[in-house]
Amino acid sequence: MKQYLGNKNAIVLFLAPALLLYSVIVFYPIIQTFYRSFFEWDGLSEASFVGLDNFVKLWGDPLLSTSLKNGFLFALVLVVFQIGLGTFLALICADVTVKGRKLLRTAYFIPVVLSVTVVCQLWLAMYDPDNGLINKIFHAFGLSYSQNWLNLPESSIFAIAFVNAWQYMGFQFALLYAGVKSIPEHYQEAALIDGAGKWRAHWYITLPLMRETFKFCFVICITAGIGAFVQMLIMTNGGPGTTNYTITFMIIRNAFGANQYGYACAISVLLVLISLIVTIIINKVFDERREEAR
Amino acid sequence: MTAIRKIPRALMQAFLWFYFLISLYPLIWMVFYSLKNNDEIFVTNPFGFPNNLRFENYVNAWNQFNLPRYMGNSLFISTITTAGVVIFALMFAYAIARLRWKFRETVRIYMIVGMFIPLQVIIIPLAILVKDLHLTNTYGALIIPYVAFGLPFASIVFYGFLRGIPYELEESACMDGASIYRMFFRIIFPILTPAVATIMILQFLGTWNEFLLAYILISDEALRTLPIGLIYFQGQYATDWGGMGAVMTIASLPMVILYLFFTEQVERALTVSSSVKG
Repeated sequence: MKQYLGNKNAIVLFLAPALLLYSVIVFYPIIQTFYRSFFEWDGLSEASFVGLDNFVKLWGDPLLSTSLKNGFLFALVLVVFQIGLGTFLALICADVTVKGRKLLRTAYFIPVVLSVTVVCQLWLAMYDPDNGLINKIFHAFGLSYSQNWLNLPESSIFAIAFVNAWQYMGFQFALLYAGVKSIPEHYQEAALIDGAGKWRAHWYITLPLMRETFKFCFVICITAGIGAFVQMLIMTNGGPGTTNYTITFMIIRNAFGANQYGYACAISVLLVLISLIVTIIINKVFDERREEAR
Repeated sequence: MTAIRKIPRALMQAFLWFYFLISLYPLIWMVFYSLKNNDEIFVTNPFGFPNNLRFENYVNAWNQFNLPRYMGNSLFISTITTAGVVIFALMFAYAIARLRWKFRETVRIYMIVGMFIPLQVIIIPLAILVKDLHLTNTYGALIIPYVAFGLPFASIVFYGFLRGIPYELEESACMDGASIYRMFFRIIFPILTPAVATIMILQFLGTWNEFLLAYILISDEALRTLPIGLIYFQGQYATDWGGMGAVMTIASLPMVILYLFFTEQVERALTVSSSVKG
């Protein structure tokens, strides 16, 4: 048996395709990104080593603060909408007396399976200043309020982030719903018997027990917000002007627009570091809560 | 006190249905306007069911633009990718979960790292790599990276399933004199059918809708996948909302139908994904 499962040929044969593909296509580029961030390089000619120059340049890039601000605002919208509202909906929907739960859950999830391009174009139509659904609804209620939603420099980032929040709400909802359902019902029953109201019971019993789910949801929302790109590309192309730039937008523009591959790699490194730090902070915050609860 | 609690209860449930509308009505509005002309969309009937169903929008959308081509590309790329991910990930997972050798734990962790790397971070070296491998503007430029990116998650899920299988299966196969390859395909593969189905659906959905790589790595019009091809309709169709709506509806239908058929599997896949990554 030991020989059977220790068959050298079989081990190599089973491992080789996956390991080779992964190493060449995923792992090697990770190393390359870090390595190339210290070079000035246009992707074609000889790269020249410039030390930390790319990072110094990045620090002084006026687009960096715009991009970071947009990333965090995007993340904020996702957290408030998907986790805030999502948790609320999940708690109500988990109640077994609610009718049509299956239908509700399916309907919430349908936007998730659509292509992001379809969703962005649908919302371009929704936001259309003259004929879009949103301004039409205001008109239908007799309000003369109408806006060019995507063209206002201060608020267009919210309009764009909302599209992502709307589309992937169902995903977060499904995770949160599964989280609520995983908690044994007698926990809440005990709290109710002790005289706590339903929402008090949720606040003190259900939500703290969903810590692991929340941790996962927060990491997804915040890293997705900081890395946002496609919605901006399709809906406003980073504009008006450069007001909707994000970190990923900077990476793509510098690499494939301006051929500054080394600089774009430096921005990528920054993105990895920010994502990593955010993940660590979220883990720490939720683990400390657990300590307090004990 | 109880009376006060009862009112919010009805209100809460109404809220669930209110969000139901927010979630679905934009899509219903899209399907409606795909069957209208501009006059009806803009002026006479912006919200409701079309007055007369203009199916010609669909005929035009299908005939005038490259929609069948893009759909074919997406279908081909997604199918090959899904098959590749399932086969390679299953073999890899089998090697690290069941076969006996020294560094399998190290190799497993090495693979997991890939699950946490955002795609946009490695896209620059990847684009250059694709060029160096002479894959630019071939199906391989997408299929090979898609398979590679699908491997970590699929492998870890299969690994979890494989750890739970009793070793007696292999033992009896060994006694019967079946080769390890025969045993793998005849015994292990069938046992993992539920996990394979889950990964297949998730992978197919993800590949069909993938945007960033397809946007960066493909410039040839004939090789565009659906999400990329659709961006270019926008310009051509700016004045014809009905036609644009028809294109978007056709593009969305396959995945919505797939989801409605496999609701359970998709939800199970989600819970698996959160427990693997969490």
